[in-house]
Amino acid sequence: MLHTWSWVIWLVAASVPAFTLRNPLYLALVLGAAGLVYFSLGRTSTIGRSWGTFARIGLFLFALTIPINALSIHTGQIVLFRLPETWPIVGGAITLEAVIAGAVSGLALFTILMVFATFNAVVDHYQLLRATPAFLFQAGVVISIAITFVPQMVLSAKEIREAQRIRGHRFRGIRDLLPLIMPLLASGLERAIRLAETMEARGFGSAVEPLPPRRAVMVQVGSLVALLALLAGLFVTAYFTESRTWGWVLIGLGVAGLLAAFRTQAGRVQQTRYRRLAWHGGDIAVVVACALAVTGFVGARLAVPEAIFYSPFPPNALWPPFQPVAGAALLLLAVPAVLAPRALELKP
Amino acid sequence: MIQFEEVTYRYPESQSPVLQEVSLQVPEGEFLLVMGPSGSGKSTLLRCLNGLVPHFYGGVMAGQVRVNDRDPIKLGPRGMADLVGFVLQDPEAQFVVDKVEDELAFALENQGLDPLVMRKRIEEVLDQLNIASLRNRSVSTLSGGERQRVAIAAVMTLQPQVLVLDEPTSQLDPQGAEEVLDTLVKLNQDLGLTVILSEHRLERVVQYVDRILYLPGVGEPPILGDPRTVLAQVDMTPPLVTLAKALEWSPLPLTIKEGRHYARKQTPKYVRGPGRHAGQRGDSARVSSPVSISVEGLRFSYNGHAALQDISLEVHRGELVALMGRNGSGKTTLLKQLVGLLKPDRGRVQIAGMDARPAMDTRQAGLDEIIRVVGYVPQNPDALLFGDTVRQELDFTRRGHGLPEGTYEPMLSALSLTAYADRYPRDLSVGERQRVALASILVAEPQILLLDEPTRGLDYQQKEALTAFLEAEKARGRTIIMATHDVELAAQCADRVILLGDGQVVVDGPARQVMSESLIFASQINKLFRDPALVTVADVLRLQGAGERAS
Repeated sequence: MLHTWSWVIWLVAASVPAFTLRNPLYLALVLGAAGLVYFSLGRTSTIGRSWGTFARIGLFLFALTIPINALSIHTGQIVLFRLPETWPIVGGAITLEAVIAGAVSGLALFTILMVFATFNAVVDHYQLLRATPAFLFQAGVVISIAITFVPQMVLSAKEIREAQRIRGHRFRGIRDLLPLIMPLLASGLERAIRLAETMEARGFGSAVEPLPPRRAVMVQVGSLVALLALLAGLFVTAYFTESRTWGWVLIGLGVAGLLAAFRTQAGRVQQTRYRRLAWHGGDIAVVVACALAVTGFVGARLAVPEAIFYSPFPPNALWPPFQPVAGAALLLLAVPAVLAPRALELKP
Repeated sequence: MIQFEEVTYRYPESQSPVLQEVSLQVPEGEFLLVMGPSGSGKSTLLRCLNGLVPHFYGGVMAGQVRVNDRDPIKLGPRGMADLVGFVLQDPEAQFVVDKVEDELAFALENQGLDPLVMRKRIEEVLDQLNIASLRNRSVSTLSGGERQRVAIAAVMTLQPQVLVLDEPTSQLDPQGAEEVLDTLVKLNQDLGLTVILSEHRLERVVQYVDRILYLPGVGEPPILGDPRTVLAQVDMTPPLVTLAKALEWSPLPLTIKEGRHYARKQTPKYVRGPGRHAGQRGDSARVSSPVSISVEGLRFSYNGHAALQDISLEVHRGELVALMGRNGSGKTTLLKQLVGLLKPDRGRVQIAGMDARPAMDTRQAGLDEIIRVVGYVPQNPDALLFGDTVRQELDFTRRGHGLPEGTYEPMLSALSLTAYADRYPRDLSVGERQRVALASILVAEPQILLLDEPTRGLDYQQKEALTAFLEAEKARGRTIIMATHDVELAAQCADRVILLGDGQVVVDGPARQVMSESLIFASQINKLFRDPALVTVADVLRLQGAGERAS
């Protein structure tokens, strides 16, 4: 299977155009690439089934943005119909340009969602979690437990609702929440305590060396000072243009201080990785393809911006411009779909 | 070598100690069973072995514990993790990661082990527990038995020398329990691992264990000895041993195979004995009394999976029906259909109305109408309990049914809950919580009572009390349908057994007949005699009494 980092790189590469573009032709290409990747890889995993939910939410947002745009933007030349001027906000000319602009915004939202949905379906969540830096170790454990906990809670919520219904419980007001919430909270808490007991018995947490108290205080004070320096630096650079150099110095010091604090924290955690995912040829190909896609796209943007940007409003043409090289570059985002079926074997 | 010397322990908020001057020794490689009534300190004793008591629970401790020369009281659970593996009752609450293989790796990763060592250990453990086929599965898709084996595997990766399990099978169905116990026997015999477990289902383990530790509860000293000696002295025994003690079979048989040997010698007397068909339950009630529930051509599927297929049955008033079958055979789904929580896709479910009113179709009748007639006690009593006192729970149901709050003394005393009426229900033991759940359904006086796995986690005495209660309810004319894996419970009190398989009715007939024709669903006594008239200990003793009078 592809390396977790390959997928992260793919996510970044695919979101750059999705976030920065309002040209439906390029958006469609990104969407198509994400769809191809999902249909050739994502459908085999269990989490992949949530893709449909993402798609439904995306379509809903798409359908929502069109009327919002059409009713609130009244510029444009091709007037479809008019609403009385006296109506607040929605009154005025309803133009074809505004409808198109709404559709394009909706498409952009939909594309962003689908890129994330595809990433969510193909990536191994646990591996992703383990890729978090060591100083976030505790947070990583908490998230992992939460992911395991949530399905159990959903099941017990259903069980509780049914059990109380049979006792004649009906939902009439806020007080009626109690019979539902109490068992859920209590059983969640009991489960959490049992889990804590298991983890204790299995020796979790023994790998985190506690810092000597004096150093712990130093690290805390140090991080605080560094954070203040960083904020002050940002403030100075933003508001005092003449002393910008000082601002940059402060920012540099702040960042260095924070990094040092993270390093000390990370040094306490001794943990190893069970799976060292091998970096295969496929990964190299994916990364190269992603790099080419981004370079091609950004390059085209700098060289021929008029062939990339699109706005339906006059004086622009209604039909979006298209630059075949930039389009071809975006299509490279579909490379994982072509490569991976042989390499990737996700079991259900 | 495990040593307890004069160990006394008291929980932080309790006045009396749970363990009092307990001294014992367990040699290396022993398979030790810890038994005793609920609340006798089994769990506490097990938790002393890795320092969870007193480190996780607090409280006051005196005396000495040594596990392979290490002191758990001083080192605490983390210091003992590599020596003592500890597995809890509830397999669901033991997982940190959702994927089996990653779960096994998690502890090792956090111990900072070398990846090569990890890989080797995980492969070994996957083979030892025979779960290699599950390595890529998500924990949430596993069956109970599989989950518990993964939990055992997860502690085995730390290569402990002692494995401690606190009622590892009490939440599992018979197949799951068998898987887990087989695994433990194998670990004990192949690896020489010391295994210490507490367990209610004695009939499954007594033949494998080297010794039994019996904790009688407050004040009395524990009994430690080989299985036959201990079982001869205690009351909590499986039916086979109970019968053997009553008939003075010696040495005590621990397996059906050993028991057959004695049974064969005694059988002729019973066969000739009069009143052979005395106590035949079932048919009489079915014919005379009106129909309580009738199901016709019921089909139901969810998630594209056919859960119930073409089910037709009739249950009469005052019948006690046991719904049996393996996990996923549709027992719970059928119960939910009968109470109208689920509606049939095809076919219909009809429930007799109150006071000779016309029968209701669950598809048309509202849930509020149905629950006036049908009560349903779910598998997990914790799903219902939310009140501050037991009494509040009962009031809540009465109000929900639009009934006035009443006095509940007769019901509370019938379920031996009188002492707990003003206690917080969630603080009670499993058996007591189960009874509170039962009371809070029965308090609405439903004509039909549905029970889902009522004996889960109960010991022999609690089961007996439940059986007596159900029989009394049946005698008062209540119709009872219970989904259960518990063959002995069905043998004790059911009139009729309906066996479900893959969403279909496989067998439907009088309990005695069904049980003596099936191998898996036969009670221990029935396996011994293979005679429909002999299903429980009481049957045999009654016939023996009759036989002796005749001769």
